[in-house]
This record gives sequence, C-alpha cells and structure tokens, in this order.
Amino acid sequence: MTARCRRFDGRALAAAMCLFAAFAAHAEPYLAVQMGLKCGQCHVNPTGGGLRTAFGDIFAQTVLPAQHLDSALDNWNGQVGPYLRAGGDLRFDASLTQIPNTKSVQQFALEQTRVYLEADVIPNRLLAYVDEQVAPGGALDREAYLLYWSAGHDWYVKAGQMYLPFGLRLQDQTAFILTATGINMTTPDQGVEFGWEHGRWDAQLAVSNGTAGGAVTGDGKQYSTQLAYVESRWRVGIALNRNDQSGGAKSAYGIFGGLKTGPIAWLAQAEITDDESIADGQGKQLATLLEANWLIARGNNLKITDEFFNPNRAVPNGEQTRLSLVYELTPIQFLQVRTGLRRSDGIPQDDSEHQRLYFVEVHGFF
Amino acid sequence: MRIGRRRSWAALLVLGCTAGCAGNGEGLDQNGQPISGGGTASGPITADFQSIQAHVFTPICSKCHIGASAPEGLQLDAAHSYNLLVGVPSSEQPALLRVKAGDPDDSYLVHKIEGQAGIDGGQMPLGESPLPQATIDAIRQWIEGGAPNAAATVALAGAATAAAATAGAATAGAAAGEVFAVQTTAPLDGAVVKAPLTRIIVTFNRDVDASLVNDSTVTLERVDAGTSTSTSTSTGTATATGTGTGTQVVRRVAAAGALAAENPAALLIVPQAPLDAGVYRVTVRGTGGGALADMNASILGVDAVFEFTLESR
Repeated sequence: MTARCRRFDGRALAAAMCLFAAFAAHAEPYLAVQMGLKCGQCHVNPTGGGLRTAFGDIFAQTVLPAQHLDSALDNWNGQVGPYLRAGGDLRFDASLTQIPNTKSVQQFALEQTRVYLEADVIPNRLLAYVDEQVAPGGALDREAYLLYWSAGHDWYVKAGQMYLPFGLRLQDQTAFILTATGINMTTPDQGVEFGWEHGRWDAQLAVSNGTAGGAVTGDGKQYSTQLAYVESRWRVGIALNRNDQSGGAKSAYGIFGGLKTGPIAWLAQAEITDDESIADGQGKQLATLLEANWLIARGNNLKITDEFFNPNRAVPNGEQTRLSLVYELTPIQFLQVRTGLRRSDGIPQDDSEHQRLYFVEVHGFF
Repeated sequence: MRIGRRRSWAALLVLGCTAGCAGNGEGLDQNGQPISGGGTASGPITADFQSIQAHVFTPICSKCHIGASAPEGLQLDAAHSYNLLVGVPSSEQPALLRVKAGDPDDSYLVHKIEGQAGIDGGQMPLGESPLPQATIDAIRQWIEGGAPNAAATVALAGAATAAAATAGAATAGAAAGEVFAVQTTAPLDGAVVKAPLTRIIVTFNRDVDASLVNDSTVTLERVDAGTSTSTSTSTGTATATGTGTGTQVVRRVAAAGALAAENPAALLIVPQAPLDAGVYRVTVRGTGGGALADMNASILGVDAVFEFTLESR
C-alpha cells in the first residue's frame, strides 16, 4: 500500500467516524454498546482488548476526544510498515486507599505499560499478534498467537496464548465478575480458539490448558465458550466455562448483555461459579455487575458501577458489594484522565472488605 | 436535551438505589467462614495454631495455597495446612522442614515469611506487604512451643467431607469426620508435577499409630505402558498387568515410609533413588495384616491408592 493510499484510507475512516460522533464514548464494552458494534470492529482481537484496528485507531482520534489537536501528519492508524502494525497502552495512577483500622496508603504507581504488535503475514487472512506488558516489573507475555481468518471473515482459528472468552471484557480487572471466574486479562491461557461470526451472531469456543499460562499440572483442559447476539441498541449473550483439573473441576455459567437508552449505555452480567477443588463448598460463588455509562458530552463519560459478590453460596450473610463512580475525560486524542472512587463493603467483622479507593489515572494509548 | 439529562439522572439514581447490600456477617468469623467450621479470628492473633490459621493461613495464604494448583502442593486452608506444614520437608529446600517443631530458626516457613536471605522464590505473602512483626512473633512462638495442633482437630472434623473430595480415590470409604481416613496427598491424585520429587506426603484426619508404619505400609510403583513381559530390576520387580491393548508394566520402586517429625498425622514416603519421569502409583495399606490404623486401632478399611505423573524439569 502506498503512502497516498494510506492517507486516503485514513481520511475515509475519519470521515466515517464523524457519522458516529454524536454517540461517541471510548474504550471498554460500553463503547461497543453505544455504537451498536461488535468488539472486533475496533480491536484486532475479535473478542476485544489489546491492539486497535485501523478503524479503532481513527475512531480514538476523531470521535473519542473532546478536542482533536491537528497535526501535520496523517492520523495514526497503527501502520508502521507494509505488513506491521503497532499500538500501546500506558496507565499511571495516583491513589489513596483507606481500610478501617489500617494506615491509609497514598501512592503513585505505574499500573501497566503494554505494547502490541501485529504482523499481517497474509493480509486479511493470517496474522501474528503479540501483547506484551513491559512495565512495571519484568516483561509479561499477555497474548501471543496466530490468527487465521476465512476468506469471508465468517470464522477464524486462533492458536497460542490468549485471553479466554467469557462475558464482558472490562478494563477494571478487579471487578467481581472477572475475579470470581478467574478469567480476565491477567490470566491468559495457552490453547486454541475457534470463532464464528454470522450477521448479528457471534460465538467462540476455546480449549486451553486451564493453567492461566503456567505449567501444566494435569491432563484436564479448560473449555470456554460464549454465544452473543448483537443488535444496534442491545445485545445479549451466554458464556460457559469448565476447567477440568486433577483436584476438581471449576465451572462457570454467565449471562451478559448491553442496552442503549439515549446517552446511557448499560452493561450487565451475572454468573455463578462452582470450584470443586476448594474444600467445604467454598467455591460456589455468585457475582453480578450492573453499569451505566452516561455520555454527558463528547469526550466526557460518567460511569457508575454496582457490583455484588457472594463468595460462598452455601453460607448466608457473607455477601460483598462494590459501588464505583468514575469520570472519564478524553480531552485530546491519545490521552485520557480517569478519576473516581470505589467503595467496597462486606461483613462487618472483616475490615479489609470495607475499602475506599480514590484515584486519578492518566491513560495514554495509541 | 434537558429532558434527556433528567432521564439520565433518574436512570442513574435507579442504579444507585438497586445497589445490593453487603452481608451482615451473622454466624461468620472474621474470614467469612462459618464459626463452627474452623476457628475464629476474633481478637488479636495468639501463639496457637487455630489463631494462626484464622488470622494468617486462611485469609491471606489460602488465596493461592488452596486446591489442586496450590504452589508446591502446599494447601493452607484449614482442612490441610497443619499436616502439610509440621514435620514436612520443604519442596524448595528439602533439607529444611516447613515447620520444625521447637525450632523456628530452622523452619522454612519462618524463613519465607521473614524474607531471609537464601530462600527460593519470593518472600511470603508473595506480592503483598510482609506480615506484621506481631504476627511473625506469634508464629515463631507457636513453633518454639512445639507447634501443637491444639485446635486443628476441630477444623479437620468439619472439613473431612471436603478433604475426601480433594484427595480423590485415596479417601474412598471415608465418612465425614467419623472414620480414620486419608485427608489429602501431595502430589494429588492425577496431578502432573515436575522433577525432582524427593518425597510424597499422605496426611490423615487422625494421628497414625507409628508402630504400624513399616516397609509394607506403603508401596510405590512406576506404571508404564508396555508389553507383557516380566523383568527384574535393581530397584524392584516389574510385572505386567491388564488385558488386550491396555497392558501396563508395573515396577515397584524402593521407598521408605515414616511419620513426620512431631506430626504423626503426616506420612512421608521417600524414594530411595531419584525418581525418573513417568507415572507413579502409591498404595497405602488399609486392609488386612499390617493395615494402617490410628491410635484407637481403627484401620483405614480400604487401600488408599493414588497416581501422579512426574515430568522432567
């Protein structure tokens, strides 16, 4: 592709993005709900997260921010060579954590720096993809896989290390619905995934080691599958997971969805888990999430999230809740500032379940 | 637009009002566990096992050290922790016991929680703030006092059913808290572990009668798929079993069984020579003459059998 062609493509995408400007928000599944799109529209990974597509990159520059700073160069579309695309995310926090009867902790922290690379080995058909966390600490392999698309892009096969499909793929990895199943973006697993996309439907089935990328400890495998139906104003899906390990199987069943009502995009998920490897039936859990994202103005999103967690369905009175209020401002392209609080509550005798977290986060991405 | 914003505020208000309520904690201990199920953490930590379990092992350590994927096979939930700690050699440094009764300075558990020089891996709790000095002092004091299992029997009785599920085939025949039974094994039945494996651990829900532990108490065998021939080896006798295409060559591996120091509820099985990669079967005699029994002469009633696979590192 010539430079002129790339420039034309970028402008065409930018123009297309303007059509969506009135409804724009940014990042996370709520954006897909706002736009009525599937996750794979903005992400190379068909199930979301990580490197953005050219569409996603242009969207992030032309629609997402409150203001677009013009530059002499073309809009960034991730292309760094004829067959190579790149991207990244950096998150830096200042936070205050309060727990009763415990000294408060105030800190600056580099939450994560991630670099994405995509090699289009055969354009539109075969790609190699790497998602590497380079900081803090040593490098961590998040995703590394080969992805083969059918000619009509109606099915694909992915092989390597990957995030597993199970419901909403939120940015907040501490959400109850992500920690209860143990399926989140900190626990990629090695295996294969088959995906199917047909009109408003899409489905995935992944078979993996079930060890979150660690050493194999048995012959058992993990099976993750989900099926979703996506309409322009709403979507609904179901997800199933079973991880057969020598000490006992862990199963998870979830239902998730999204709904757009005017400027608000709603997300919801409920799931139950049953971990037979944990003694005394303590692995029977329930987690739910209900989230509203209000697009107040372009580049300004108010997020309210209500979470519920029952850590042991066999024992009453141990439920936990978490209420989050987060304001997300994207003043210019590639830069986002998030500020908010998370209020956790649980049983009165455990102070650690009564945490208050106040934070400001700077998020740079490209 | 004004109407839209009013509706938006109303919608968010509804969301706030639908927020669920946290549990009132009634009938639960500080860790959210039923009070009758394994100790309470009310009040400050004291130098006894029940308090340490409730303040440290259950709420902090067992977040990771639980179930089939517990690091180093060390499960630290109330049902398993004592027997996998006291008198049991460390996996990382087999020359040291995890807890050496009466000697905290030579207990690897203390080395790990204090982050002493020379430990393998990181200081525990991994990735979290070190334990408060008062907590470490309580653990040291408990070990110095002989690391007694003062209240753990309560926890074990309450967790016997779960332990039976965890230990798989090895616990066949065990009724909840009533009969003498295998509590857990390390490695677990069906597990795949990396070499070297210097010892195998079988724990019980009651103390074992040490006089019954001898060379015939436990059998360690290597199980290979192969042809139906019998051979003699330097480490034992190989016999072929099975029918049709399912023939297995079972070769006995020399190993010694002994109860852990200061912890007669833990049986340590030590191979006489380093184990090669392969599938191994452990049988603890629970029937007939020489059956393992507790201090009340209650026998297991069934042979406890479990298998694991050892892989090259």
